[in-house]
Amino acid sequence: MRLALVVVALHVLAWTPPAGAAPDFGAIAGVVRLTTKVRGNPIPTAAYSPRGVERHQPPSTAEIHNVVVYLKGVDYRGPLAVQTREIAQDHEAFTPRVLAVTRGSTVTFPNEDPFYHNVFSLSGSAPFDLGRYPRGQARGRTFAKAGLVKVYCHIHSQMSASILVLDHPFFAMPADSGAFEIERVPPGRYAIVGWHERVGERTAAVRVEPGVTTSIELSLPVDEAP
Amino acid sequence: VSARRRPPRLIIRTLTATFVMVALLLVAVFVVVSLNVRAQVRQNVTTMLESSQRMFAQLEAQRQRELLAQAGILAESPTLKAAIDTYAAEAGSPEADARSQLLATIARELDKLAERVESDAIVLVDARRYTLASVGPFSADWPSGQRIPLPANPGGGGRFDGVVRAAGRTYRTVWVDLVLDDAPIGTLYIANLLDERYAATLAELSNARIVVADGDRLIASTLDAWEAQAFERAILASRQTDGTVSLNGEPFAFRRLVTIGDAGVYALGSIDASSAAATRQALGTMALIALGAGILALVGSLWLAHLLTEPIGRLSTSLQTMSRSRDARGTLPLSGSSRELDTLIETFNDLMMSVTAAEAQTEAAYTGAIRALAAALDARDPYTAGHSERVSVLSVAMGRTLGLSNDELEVLRLGALLHDIGKIGVPDSVLRKAGPLTDSEYDQIKQHPVLGARILRSVPFLAPHLPIVELHHERPDGAGYPYGLQSDATPLAARIVHVADAYDAMTSARAYRGARSSSAALHELWRCSGTAFDAALVEALTLSLPGAAAGAERPEPSVVHA
Repeated sequence: MRLALVVVALHVLAWTPPAGAAPDFGAIAGVVRLTTKVRGNPIPTAAYSPRGVERHQPPSTAEIHNVVVYLKGVDYRGPLAVQTREIAQDHEAFTPRVLAVTRGSTVTFPNEDPFYHNVFSLSGSAPFDLGRYPRGQARGRTFAKAGLVKVYCHIHSQMSASILVLDHPFFAMPADSGAFEIERVPPGRYAIVGWHERVGERTAAVRVEPGVTTSIELSLPVDEAP
Repeated sequence: VSARRRPPRLIIRTLTATFVMVALLLVAVFVVVSLNVRAQVRQNVTTMLESSQRMFAQLEAQRQRELLAQAGILAESPTLKAAIDTYAAEAGSPEADARSQLLATIARELDKLAERVESDAIVLVDARRYTLASVGPFSADWPSGQRIPLPANPGGGGRFDGVVRAAGRTYRTVWVDLVLDDAPIGTLYIANLLDERYAATLAELSNARIVVADGDRLIASTLDAWEAQAFERAILASRQTDGTVSLNGEPFAFRRLVTIGDAGVYALGSIDASSAAATRQALGTMALIALGAGILALVGSLWLAHLLTEPIGRLSTSLQTMSRSRDARGTLPLSGSSRELDTLIETFNDLMMSVTAAEAQTEAAYTGAIRALAAALDARDPYTAGHSERVSVLSVAMGRTLGLSNDELEVLRLGALLHDIGKIGVPDSVLRKAGPLTDSEYDQIKQHPVLGARILRSVPFLAPHLPIVELHHERPDGAGYPYGLQSDATPLAARIVHVADAYDAMTSARAYRGARSSSAALHELWRCSGTAFDAALVEALTLSLPGAAAGAERPEPSVVHA
């Protein structure tokens, strides 16, 4: 592992409940900070340096956007808002690279590159292959089962995306500053997870009380497992 | 003296000396040049071996780079990458079935790769370096779930080429990270066992002997056990990368072809095996040149020796001829070959001339003394004055008529001069007696030849003349004195002098009678020829005195030959 001082600090502060927060529910808020690169310079795959071949540089995405914060083990029986989200294929990269959706949501994959792309997954919860299609087309998939779905392109082997399908609405993706907020959480004890597609996840216990915005502190990356 | 060996001929000595010198010189040159040639050939061969090994090292490095490139292509398999990444993402998933399916996908993809790459093992590890799967004949050395240590000293600079030890064996390995969105998700290893088979393959490709070493330990080689041990001790311990090494007395040029972390592959070429042919050829040419030079040297030496000794030999032969003929008067011809030799010959000729002159002088003095002695003797009696001189002249004339040699004539001349020397011992009273001699007086007269011989015997160089003095009164019929020898027992010179003496005595006056005419004397001689005188000699006298003989009356031949 790179000697990276990757510190994702979830700084959960004492927080006044935002206006309009229902008194029956609590909330969780925090900040995520990334201080280093998760991915370094591309490692050469051959001794022959690929001279003259310009590598497509995808539009850089802040690494903080590849983090999802969610509650684990929530028995949620309420209605799930079904969304339709989009992961574009742009400059030989899936953008965004990480996406969290509720179960039943649909993700479409529009091709914005001037060449064919493919979308497939080997993940146990939702194996699929959307086949190849050219620029301008978009194909989608509805995820009916909760779980992590890893998505790849069969044509461009370096492309990947992660779709976290959750069966509850208690998740958030941090803003550029690392701040996030999960609203309308029923009071109780939860396990809150900060997950990064490469670095891994970190779990912490959190207690939510009605009418209170609880602050919690999590840090990523997790230590390398032995 | 005869047992002593004669010294060798001059030409042999000269030839030997010259040739030995030239031969030694040639041998020295040959040895130096051939050593030089040997060293040169070895140097060339070493350089050649080194350059071919360098070339092979480059080829080998290129082969490895190509393998690496191939690995890079293999690592781009989308399915493989997706499977690994998904497998990692579902690490915590309870669905064991899905995970085993993913593993099966990974294994299937690896099998496909193995079909495209020849290697002992293809190994896939996850991002934390644990083995996920392996294929190939040696995949048993890479069991799943085992952590593979990062190869020590992978070479750096983006080179992923190193040595990995698995299950106690050393593998040469290239590896490539599988990258997804610029992040590593696993590593693909292509491993080849560094063993005897690998060494043998390299040996066949490089046409050299191969040693594979791990650190200072030899792990495989195409050397025999002894050589391997020697190489390990001499080279691996000191970590030399190239140079020459002697294994069991055989010199090798060696070079480290490849360095892979701690490990290295060395190529060894036998210098002797490569240089033997070239050396043999060079030495063969040298030997041929040496043979030619030797023959040339022999011919040159012979010519030189001949040049030096031939005039000396010629001179020696001339001297030998001169000495054999006892002729000191001749002069030796100049050789014209060298100034020194000609000076020698000239000096010799001068010397010989002065010797000849001195000899003549001595001879003249000695003849004069004898003549004086004879004259003194003759002078005792006025009637015999000049007798010895005349007899001598007459005898020489007769000798010449008879065709005697110069030496014999010389003996005759002196012998005739001295023939009456014994009369010194005869008293004047007898010798100069006017009247007839008594018998005893006549006996005294008869003693003079023996007396003369006795006198002369004490003078060694007069030995040839002794018979003339002693026997000049012997007669052919044996009635002469002092010994009464027969004709054939008396030497010719004595007989000649006998005749000449008689003739001169008859033609000279005596106290008791007058001189007879020469014709009367001849007549008397003729009369007594065959008895008192040798007939042939009387004839010779006649021929020597043509004037006297003309007037003479020759008696009947029957009487002459009676």
